[in-house]
Amino acid sequence: MLKNSLIALSLGAAAFAAQAQELDISDPDQALLATNKVFCANEPGEVALYWWQGEVYSRIPGEKDKHIFNVQGMNVRQCGRLEDETRGLGFRSVSREIMIYLDPETDEILRTWNNPWTGEDVEVMHVNNDPVNGRGVSWARDDEGKPQAKFEPQRVVNGMVLSGGGAARLFYNNPLNGDYQDYEGGKYHAAEFLTVAYPLSDVLDVSKNSIQDAVISWGRISGWLPWMKMRGRTGLMVHYTHGMRLHDWADLPDVLRTEIETNWPKYQSPPPVDDDRPNDTTWTVFKRWIDDKRAKGEVPEQGPR
Amino acid sequence: MKHLMSGLLLSIASMGVQAQDKLDLNVLEDVLEVQRKFICSRTEGDVTYGYFEGKMYSRVEGERDRVLFNLAGVNIRQCQDLQDPERGKGFRSVSREVMLYLDPETNEVLRTWDNPWTGETVNVIHVANDPVNMRRPIYMYRADGTPIEFNGLFKNGRVITSFNVPLFYKNPLGGEYQDYVGGTYHAMEMFNNYAFEDEVLDRNNMKLTRYNYSWTRVADWLPWMKMGDRVGIMYTSVIGARVATVEDIPDPLLSEMKANYPKFLTPPPLDDDRPNETTWVITKAAIDAERGDK
Repeated sequence: MLKNSLIALSLGAAAFAAQAQELDISDPDQALLATNKVFCANEPGEVALYWWQGEVYSRIPGEKDKHIFNVQGMNVRQCGRLEDETRGLGFRSVSREIMIYLDPETDEILRTWNNPWTGEDVEVMHVNNDPVNGRGVSWARDDEGKPQAKFEPQRVVNGMVLSGGGAARLFYNNPLNGDYQDYEGGKYHAAEFLTVAYPLSDVLDVSKNSIQDAVISWGRISGWLPWMKMRGRTGLMVHYTHGMRLHDWADLPDVLRTEIETNWPKYQSPPPVDDDRPNDTTWTVFKRWIDDKRAKGEVPEQGPR
Repeated sequence: MKHLMSGLLLSIASMGVQAQDKLDLNVLEDVLEVQRKFICSRTEGDVTYGYFEGKMYSRVEGERDRVLFNLAGVNIRQCQDLQDPERGKGFRSVSREVMLYLDPETNEVLRTWDNPWTGETVNVIHVANDPVNMRRPIYMYRADGTPIEFNGLFKNGRVITSFNVPLFYKNPLGGEYQDYVGGTYHAMEMFNNYAFEDEVLDRNNMKLTRYNYSWTRVADWLPWMKMGDRVGIMYTSVIGARVATVEDIPDPLLSEMKANYPKFLTPPPLDDDRPNETTWVITKAAIDAERGDK
């Protein structure tokens, strides 16, 4: 008798929970909770770790694309959670990002690279961007209180949300160039494209603060990296990678995890949620890196003219 | 007690079944089955539908990249079982493929396109390649006698395969001196495929049902855009997934195929031995036909 009523009770509880457990995405606060789960986490302090690996090619007119590097990268992130009387729920993301360049044959971390077009040995500067933060707060409502946050998956196939198939087109003043880029050229010109796929059920499940099962692809088309010292030669770089959200630090491949623990220890955790430093990019980081070397006299002020 | 016993027996039985029912990547026959799952159904003649959607962009030095088209496409495929006295068990896929160029604002199927660089209005030639067949079948052993391998990444219950194909070969629209004067076909195709380990390694699973992918292509201008020697390239960013049936192909692709590409709703016959079609071959035929008409 007792056993039966216990079963009934637990069944009832389960059914009740199943009903109550779905986010109502027509509500902007809950829509924001849904979207924030994908790349971050709704519980303050919970860290989101994304990892990717892939290949880098050169593209120069008249020659077959060359496989010049492998890459391993990761982004470690957290979200600060805010509440506002008018704007409702808000999140702000803060992160750090590393991507290391590896020998395309041996997968060993490159410290120097022999540039096949110039013949010069150059020092490799891995991507080390700290911070890579959300520029503002994502709020559920606008400053008049109108709903703003939406969760509208573009395509769901067999329960998987497919997101992406677009590109972030970047075309802005290059921090390494002068004040006349509209006239002289040299603007930073790149496109980054990300796709992500994840189960819709995890998005709607109230008990899940984050989507743990997410797979990504990331690619980029850009000019040469500044440390390659290409001196304005014609050509492009194409990155293409695949990856996923990881559940903990130990899931990172050894080569990347060891490199970060040894040489970039602060990249094991995201910046504080109130971090207000400007964002880093390879170009801003390179400028500090090369300026520091120039100040120390390790490289000449200007190359051959 | 009785219940406990049957519970035990059941779990022992299911353990046995589990071990047997899992494909083993140390066994060459099973490696072939896993390979095949990423390409088509393991059942000969069973059709798979690979849907994808995304966008195509231009990149011209000195200007911000433009969104040229939305894209929607599908590859409809089946595989034939093969057996070779030397190379063992194998298979070969045959398929047809459609990819439509859509208005980036309205998502309508484009018939003509206003080229923003030349000012000319050109006829759009959608991708409709028949066939797109595997050039060489896959067997347990390669032609040189070495066993095939499966290079997927197994991590956290997922299996990911990834491959990039740099293309640099004689352009069918170019002349006989491309090494000297240029015009070589120059592109890169990049693919990522994502499946679930439980389905991939399940011996009883004949076809992946939860399977998605991303595709990117970097290439010179399409010939029908009539860009001539203008400097610039195009790239695509695409996401897709296997859908269960023809009717699961989203519009506007499905309606357009029913109206204008009905034969592309089924794959070619298993023994199809025609040469593959590409946009360049099709565009050449279209240009030649138009020239003939004049």
